[in-house]
Amino acid sequence: MTDTVAIVLDQAPKKRFRLPLEVLLSLVLLGAAALMAAIGTLIAPDATSQSILDALLPPGSPGHLLGTDELGRDVLALTIAGTSSALVGPVIVALGSMLLGILLGTIAGYVRGPVDFLIGRWTDLLFSLPMLLAAIVVAGVFGAGYWMTVVLLIVLFSPSDIRIVRAGVLEQAARPFVEAAQMLSLSKARIMFGQVLPNVSSLIITNAMLNVAFALVAFSSLSFLGVGVPAGSADWGRQLTDGRSIMMDNPAAVLVPALLIIGVACAANLVGDWLGQTMTRTGRV
Amino acid sequence: MNTEDFVSGTAGVRVTGLGVSGPSGQFVAPFDFSIAGGETLALIGESGSGKTLSAKAIAGLLPIGFSAEGRIQLTSGAITLPASDAIWRATRGKRISLLLQDPFTSLSPVHRCGMQIGITIAASRDGKISRQDIQTQVVERLTEVNLPADVARAYPHELSGGMRQRVAIAAALATDPELLIADEPTTALDASNQGEILDLLRRLQVSRGMAALLISHDLGMVRGRAENVLVMRHGEIVERGATSRVLRAPDHPYTRSLIEADPSLTGRAAPDALPISPADFLVTATEVSKAFGDKVVLAGVSVAVGRGETVGIVGESGSGKTTLARCIAGLEHESGGLIEFDGVALAPGRASRTPAQMQIVFQDPYSSLNPMMNVGKSLRLALSVARRPASDVPGLLDLVDLPAEFARKRPAELSGGQRQRVAIARALAVRPELLICDESVSALDVSVQKQILDLLVALRTELGLSMMFISHDLAVVRQLADRVYVMRDGKVVESGSCQQVLTNPSHPYTQALVEASLHPPATQTV
Amino acid sequence: MTTPLARASRARPLGRMLVVRVLGTVAILLVLSVIVFSMMHLAPGDIVKNLLGNRPSSPEAAAAIRAQYNLDQPLYMQYLIWLGNALSGDFGQSIRMQDSVTNVIGARLPITAALTSVAFVLSIVVAIPLGVQSAVRSGSWIDRFATGFGIVGLSAPTFAVGLVLLYALAFYLPVFPVYGAGSGGLDTLYHLALPGISLALGLGAIILKFTRTAMLRELESDYVTFGRARGLPESQVQRIALRNAAIPIITGASLVLTFLVGGTVLAEATFALPGLGTLLQGSVLFKDIPVVQALTLLVAVVIAVIALLADLAYIFLDPRIRAKEASQ
Repeated sequence: MTDTVAIVLDQAPKKRFRLPLEVLLSLVLLGAAALMAAIGTLIAPDATSQSILDALLPPGSPGHLLGTDELGRDVLALTIAGTSSALVGPVIVALGSMLLGILLGTIAGYVRGPVDFLIGRWTDLLFSLPMLLAAIVVAGVFGAGYWMTVVLLIVLFSPSDIRIVRAGVLEQAARPFVEAAQMLSLSKARIMFGQVLPNVSSLIITNAMLNVAFALVAFSSLSFLGVGVPAGSADWGRQLTDGRSIMMDNPAAVLVPALLIIGVACAANLVGDWLGQTMTRTGRV
Repeated sequence: MNTEDFVSGTAGVRVTGLGVSGPSGQFVAPFDFSIAGGETLALIGESGSGKTLSAKAIAGLLPIGFSAEGRIQLTSGAITLPASDAIWRATRGKRISLLLQDPFTSLSPVHRCGMQIGITIAASRDGKISRQDIQTQVVERLTEVNLPADVARAYPHELSGGMRQRVAIAAALATDPELLIADEPTTALDASNQGEILDLLRRLQVSRGMAALLISHDLGMVRGRAENVLVMRHGEIVERGATSRVLRAPDHPYTRSLIEADPSLTGRAAPDALPISPADFLVTATEVSKAFGDKVVLAGVSVAVGRGETVGIVGESGSGKTTLARCIAGLEHESGGLIEFDGVALAPGRASRTPAQMQIVFQDPYSSLNPMMNVGKSLRLALSVARRPASDVPGLLDLVDLPAEFARKRPAELSGGQRQRVAIARALAVRPELLICDESVSALDVSVQKQILDLLVALRTELGLSMMFISHDLAVVRQLADRVYVMRDGKVVESGSCQQVLTNPSHPYTQALVEASLHPPATQTV
Repeated sequence: MTTPLARASRARPLGRMLVVRVLGTVAILLVLSVIVFSMMHLAPGDIVKNLLGNRPSSPEAAAAIRAQYNLDQPLYMQYLIWLGNALSGDFGQSIRMQDSVTNVIGARLPITAALTSVAFVLSIVVAIPLGVQSAVRSGSWIDRFATGFGIVGLSAPTFAVGLVLLYALAFYLPVFPVYGAGSGGLDTLYHLALPGISLALGLGAIILKFTRTAMLRELESDYVTFGRARGLPESQVQRIALRNAAIPIITGASLVLTFLVGGTVLAEATFALPGLGTLLQGSVLFKDIPVVQALTLLVAVVIAVIALLADLAYIFLDPRIRAKEASQ
């Protein structure tokens, strides 16, 4: 068995770096979305103000490509301006929970002992509650704003990061090269962050990318339910709530942000999966 | 190509023009062989030689992306490769069966052993057999491989490795195939089980008049267990002939190097050790004990390594030899006993030890180097610990016979032997007094094993190292140890000079080990 | 080797293990109940005002609230009384509905139970066979379809899918009803079709992923090669592999429950179904704390019980886990 694998690895011709089409498209979509998030408010500064009083226009109306909503706000401008609200939060959630995961996961996995036990029970507890439910209840009851929701989601996302990093660290820490470092009497922190962690990095990066997708879903779900993002602000999830009742008159008010959410989440997921596969294939893990 | 004709009877298997191609071209160049009914042909090669691919090609189980060519002539008909799925379905099991290397993974862990043999019997009769008859047959098959009937009710994890491989043999033979291919059937087993399993296979094969193809990396193992032998290297047959002739007078230099590298075939003995006085002991472990939970791994073990001496510690997996080494190195905390270095007692754990006292070379060359660091970085890290300059890297690589350019290579670009050389260089970077080798060559091919052992012998003399050499393989230990401790179930059962223990073992366990690893038994004559 | 004697003596450790697991679950639920209880006190604003809701706040009404929630007692007594009541099924009065929490939940439960059952069954029935086939025919069009389905199902939020389906199949092509739960029986099932499908998409994607990964791993294992080598029919080899893959698949199925809870809220909100999800949404926005407390605890209990059942299923399915548990 190992025989065959060894041959394949040794003799397989070195493939040139190739980007699959769906990953390329995903990267383009993510890039465009990031650009919109960065400069969206510059392009559409008055998106949330009414341009026409109480006029609900269908898509294709002159001056309003995607029509307007109930309050007479231009749907295209609203969608462009809503990008940053829809994307910035999820990216920060993914990064924040990654940092929390690296810190607590490495400590739990390498130091073990009572610290590991405490961190383990903490993740157990968070895992025993459905994340979205906890977010709805906490953010709703406490009336959390945008940034409080970000913090809340970081805490709720972190258990999976902690577990993934911990498992990776545990697996690596048992390898002989880590013991070889112990034989050199290197300090625990040096072994942990210098030897072990780099070998878990591909796992961490992949998971962070996937978390962007899941955080986007969680974030827009909350704003769809009316939690986390204040009424009247420009946000894709919010647009869906507001636009649901006017679906007959202007379907674009719902379909455009809905498809954008689906598209960006799929793209982030595809890129995450691809990163995971590529990084394990090149033997970085 | 040599044309010694193997076929003595009419029944049997004749394979012509068997070749295997993969995604990057040909892996196995077409070759012919035939095996008479009741005879065994051994196919010998090191890892990557193409022997396993050849075996899988004959069983129609090549991995995706590989294809076979050639013709297999069985008594019941011929198959031209590549063959369709339908042909393989009619062939596998009933005509050709394949036994795999690892009994720990080749049986489904969630099904009872009896069921796994039973479904094979049912499949070979196309389901036309009653439940009652299957039950009876399962018991018969188990008896045939010397297992009690109640093994049928057991799950694989409840059995030992040897018993599992017996169950696998019963399952592989449940279809009464014309040809059995055994792919390294004992490599995953302990030495004391290996002989038994091979002899069992031999007995069954002879009594059924079945043809067998035995795949192995170990030329010594097939002595007396195969009529003929093929030696494969880089996908080509380099030698073929009667086993006794090939072992006695090999034609090809590669075969000769395999025989020379195989310690069980050369019979080189270590010189008698000079007696060492306790004052010269570098390391002593006295009554060291260790338990993981309820499981006692070391039950009061005492060993000593003298200055400049090489001590071998021999035992099978689970004997506690590795745990002992790890306790001495401080990677494991012993539960009791005393470990002294240079006459000074060391508290359990790494904190009481310095890098310059001792270093370890581990077993698995594929995980003993940090995959994220190139060779130079790994060595510089070790050098910095001993406050040696980074400019010592080329000298260090030279010490282990590697060119200086290797400093820029990543571990993934190195072969197993090269990695093990780097691991030795890293261990020597801090100029340790004691070098612990924990099964350091057992994951390597025989010819590479020999090179690493030679390197260690040279380094020992050159640097005046003391060495503790841990191995399950007596034949390897014999090549460099002055003194030997034999461990079993967490205790030392025998110790003494290498020469004395190996030529005149007093403990029955040592006798069995010596028997199993140094003298392959001559089997029943066919 | 196992003797019949060894087998019999296993029954006891198994029982002890069951007790340990149940106690662990109870411990987690107790911790959660403390958190849920403190929600009332931690919510911003005056507790009496919060509990009064829209009712006029006369001194008498305030006193009645104080008496009803034992606010004058020490905190731990308040908790114990609350917990005691909760255990006997009394979660107090809904502030928004002016009815007992138990009645409010009871009235909404059937819709949610029906919706989640439809979605769960739908996803299992589609995802497991699809996952097995995509692993067996890895690289084929069915595998590519399954992978695409998995990515979309995993990424697309339930409400976004729901709204797209709603537009396509209720507005654009009026095949399905737009809103509401229907008038019972087949009509309800008809009304639950779209929300069920949008909920099942996410569920199915997770189960599909677990099934495919587990099957791929099992199909690569030695015992599958060995099975083929001894001439077992392919269908039997696959059955053996699926039996080995059962544990990760069950883990997946039990994990999706946490997804199911969140997804139900979204699906109900999208299709305006009067179930527990919309009840939770409304209660959270209205700060109807007693209802939120009851719903949170209810969900926690259901999830804990199912996790326990999944644990027991492992022991039933894997003799190695059984042996390990028994030896501890």
